[in-house]
Amino acid sequence: MISFILIIVASIFFTGIIIRTKSITSGRKGPGILQPMKDIFRLFKKGAVYSKTTSFIFQIAPSVYFASVIMAILVIPFGQYKGMISFDGDFVFFAYVLGTGKFFSIISALDTGSSFEGMGASREALFSMFAEPAFFILMGSLALLTGHTSFQQIFASLHFGSYISYILGVMATFVLVMITLVENSRMPFDDPKTHLELTMVHEVMILDNSGFDLGLILYATNLKFAMYGALIANLFMGSFPLYLTIPIFLGIQILFAIAVGILESFTARFRMNHNAQYILALSSVTLLIFLGVLLVLGQFS
Amino acid sequence: MANVLLIIFTISLLYLGIAHRLFTYIKILAFQGVLLFGIAFIELIQINIANLTFVLLETIVFKAIAIPYFLNYVIKRNRITRDAEPYLPNFISLIIITLIIITTFVLSNAIADERISKIYFVVALSTLFTGLYIIVTRHKIITHVMGYLVIENGVFILSLAVGNEMPMLVNLGIMLDIFASVFLLGIFVNRIGDVLKDVDVDQLKNLKD
Amino acid sequence: MTGIYLAGAFIISGLLFFNRNKTYNYLLVIGFLLLQIGFTIYEYLHLHTTELNYFTADALAILLLVTLTIISIPAMYHSYVYLETKQDNPKHRAIYFAAMVALLTSISAAYLSNHIAVTWIFVELTTLSASALIYHRRNNRSLEGTWKYVFVCAISITLIFIGILFLSFTLQQAGTDDLSFAVLIKKAPQLNLFWLRLAFIFIFTGFTAKLGLVPMYTAGIDAKDKAPSPAGAILSSVLMNMGFVGIFRIYTVMANSPLHLWTNHVILIAAILSIFVATVYMTKVKNIKRMFAYSSIEHMGIVMLGLVAGGVGYYAAILHIIFHAFIKSSLFFQMGQVYRIYKSKSIYDVGNYFKYNLTGAIVMLLGFFSATAMPPSGLFISEFLIFRSLFEASYLWVLIVVMLLLTVIIWAFGKNVFKLLFSPAVDFKEDNIEKINPMESISQFILLGLVVYLGLNPPQEFVTLIHEAIKNLPH
Repeated sequence: MISFILIIVASIFFTGIIIRTKSITSGRKGPGILQPMKDIFRLFKKGAVYSKTTSFIFQIAPSVYFASVIMAILVIPFGQYKGMISFDGDFVFFAYVLGTGKFFSIISALDTGSSFEGMGASREALFSMFAEPAFFILMGSLALLTGHTSFQQIFASLHFGSYISYILGVMATFVLVMITLVENSRMPFDDPKTHLELTMVHEVMILDNSGFDLGLILYATNLKFAMYGALIANLFMGSFPLYLTIPIFLGIQILFAIAVGILESFTARFRMNHNAQYILALSSVTLLIFLGVLLVLGQFS
Repeated sequence: MANVLLIIFTISLLYLGIAHRLFTYIKILAFQGVLLFGIAFIELIQINIANLTFVLLETIVFKAIAIPYFLNYVIKRNRITRDAEPYLPNFISLIIITLIIITTFVLSNAIADERISKIYFVVALSTLFTGLYIIVTRHKIITHVMGYLVIENGVFILSLAVGNEMPMLVNLGIMLDIFASVFLLGIFVNRIGDVLKDVDVDQLKNLKD
Repeated sequence: MTGIYLAGAFIISGLLFFNRNKTYNYLLVIGFLLLQIGFTIYEYLHLHTTELNYFTADALAILLLVTLTIISIPAMYHSYVYLETKQDNPKHRAIYFAAMVALLTSISAAYLSNHIAVTWIFVELTTLSASALIYHRRNNRSLEGTWKYVFVCAISITLIFIGILFLSFTLQQAGTDDLSFAVLIKKAPQLNLFWLRLAFIFIFTGFTAKLGLVPMYTAGIDAKDKAPSPAGAILSSVLMNMGFVGIFRIYTVMANSPLHLWTNHVILIAAILSIFVATVYMTKVKNIKRMFAYSSIEHMGIVMLGLVAGGVGYYAAILHIIFHAFIKSSLFFQMGQVYRIYKSKSIYDVGNYFKYNLTGAIVMLLGFFSATAMPPSGLFISEFLIFRSLFEASYLWVLIVVMLLLTVIIWAFGKNVFKLLFSPAVDFKEDNIEKINPMESISQFILLGLVVYLGLNPPQEFVTLIHEAIKNLPH
């Protein structure tokens, strides 16, 4: 329960901190931290316009997407406290529930019949496909290292004994940050600001959504950010008592948001036809983490 | 700690697969030289001090400083273009190098030998095959030399695996390195730029039946 | 004496490199030849002594050292003739002779070394000096040949080094640290089999670049083509013998271990493939020097078959190596004269050789008979013995295939040589032909005659030495 509340709290501020950081590094003052939430509330109050060429998929997809994100959040633990849903192998459930949401958003983009959105949908599908092995190999190696298969048990028993586990922890953080950037379509894999035809990936899929649906989708992005931030925070929480872990959690979320903001301000997006190989490189690096874990354990199949 | 450096070394191999520009190759080679310096320092701390200083000096001076500087000079002097010109797209290179690493890992498990540390064997063999792959799939002559240098690094790691018992083998490996750098780079790539105007491997097709 | 020899030879090489005066050059070269002859006689008298801890004059080394000395004398003479007829560039001449001296010294040291790492060092040195020789003409094509040679040899040297590393892995089980051949042969039954297999494959592949077998033979072909003829003679005779020494020594280690049969199969595959490749290329090659180079590959394949077959094949293999060195070098020396007359190496541009150079044509004809192993050439005897050993070892199909391939090779070789000797040349202007002094062909007659003599009536010391060289192989 506590992780759910904390993630909702963090998601309120997350995008605002990113935009604020970007503004400050550009030399402006920037909007307030709660501005994105105010934009979302404004969208919630409006009605949605549905195109005549779409079917019911287009109308239910945003809700399904939002629901999938909420369900994924329910699985995330908080240090030694379980998430609201916790069972063996729940990280697979986590990945595939997010996959269901992404699938629905992809087919709703195809549903509009616009070739634009189809192009964005295919790119989005490709990038997620290459980032998926990274996530699974990472969770798999963590599961191998700790011997458990449930999120909460993995993170609870993850202790940093030898220095190779420290290196693994650092590399796992790096991989998770990269996965976040891929999944949420941020730099350097996708530019949220660009609205040029040839360069959009995620933005183009939601071009036709409006009103309440658009608000749901934007808020779901915030939630996903906070969710991955919570995963990263879990790597470092261990089994400290509650009055320590909550500040650590919030601190890591804020740090993560600032880091994403800085990364967005200073990097350019990769060339579109090279994007795929960079994401695949991420998966290969994760493979090395896996081999490193096998080394630490001294287990060779 | 040596294990960590070896894993970072393998990551640099992956980066070699997707690099586009020749200068990136040189930077990766210099970085690998620094990593090898660290690994040699940690592994060979027990052999006598003169031998150790010789090995460390050679790694840092040759692999990390002299060879990258010399490659830079050759590229600038012959006005070789920046691109690495692979035959296969970088995406496929990345997949193939990943497959190489996995295959060597599986192979090394078939070798049940307690004396040889498995990670050295895996990293050395993957470096060897990656170097061979780079030689085979790139157009330019200078990338052949760089692929050979990557193979050298792999052989050096393999010699470090037995370095403690037989330091002479590490010395021989270093001699190989010096021979390659002095000869391949020092005399021929300079001349090749002068005589063959375009540093493309297709130029080397005149001698055939 | 080995130390004196090495130091003296490298000093002479250094002096040759810096010296631009012609007379001093020739004096230094003659000095080196005297040193070489003296060293060979000394080693012959001191059979089986170990000097400097790493150099042992065993029987095989002495045999090949004598071969080297005998070939190096006409090599230097023909180099002198070759450089006389080209323009006089003192710097290039200095580099040529310095590299020649360094090459001959490194090959001698590689023959004598009893430790695999020392052999490896000297094989590296031969790559360096040989490439300086190949690059002598300094045009585009020789640069290309040199680059290919250096690169392939660099890769092969690395492969040999990896094989040495694997060998050191095998030793840890047998409890010793020493990589000298004597220790390896003694401990052969106890070596770790898996690493030994890997070590053999790597060392064998690496040495095939020098010996001229599949898979690394390619560098040698271009090298022998582009190097000046006297240097090409050295490259195709004594340098290949050095490759043979390396493989022979590691083969003795393998033969005394449980992996003898497996080793035989590996070498058999490489040898048959080499003869096949040589056949294919001989039928389509148009450059006479390349044809000689491919013929060397075929002979090396036959030598390896002799090793594989065992029994009398061991004796025949060493006979074949020595005779082949003499014959191939004399063919290359003669090629220098052919080039001077026709100014071209292609089959299309040559012909009617009897008219332009009678002694040279006789040498070429006799050389053709010797190289294709027709009686009374010594190669006939060694090939016959190798075929007999293959038959006795029940490699019947191998024998049939090899004989068919050899027939095709004899046809291809003969077609080209007879075109050179008997058919009239196309578009050849007879105005400014260089007059070749018949005295220059004497060295080649001597070499060919030596092969006939040693084949038909070998002196007793010669036979004893060969038996001594193969005594470590299981009979």
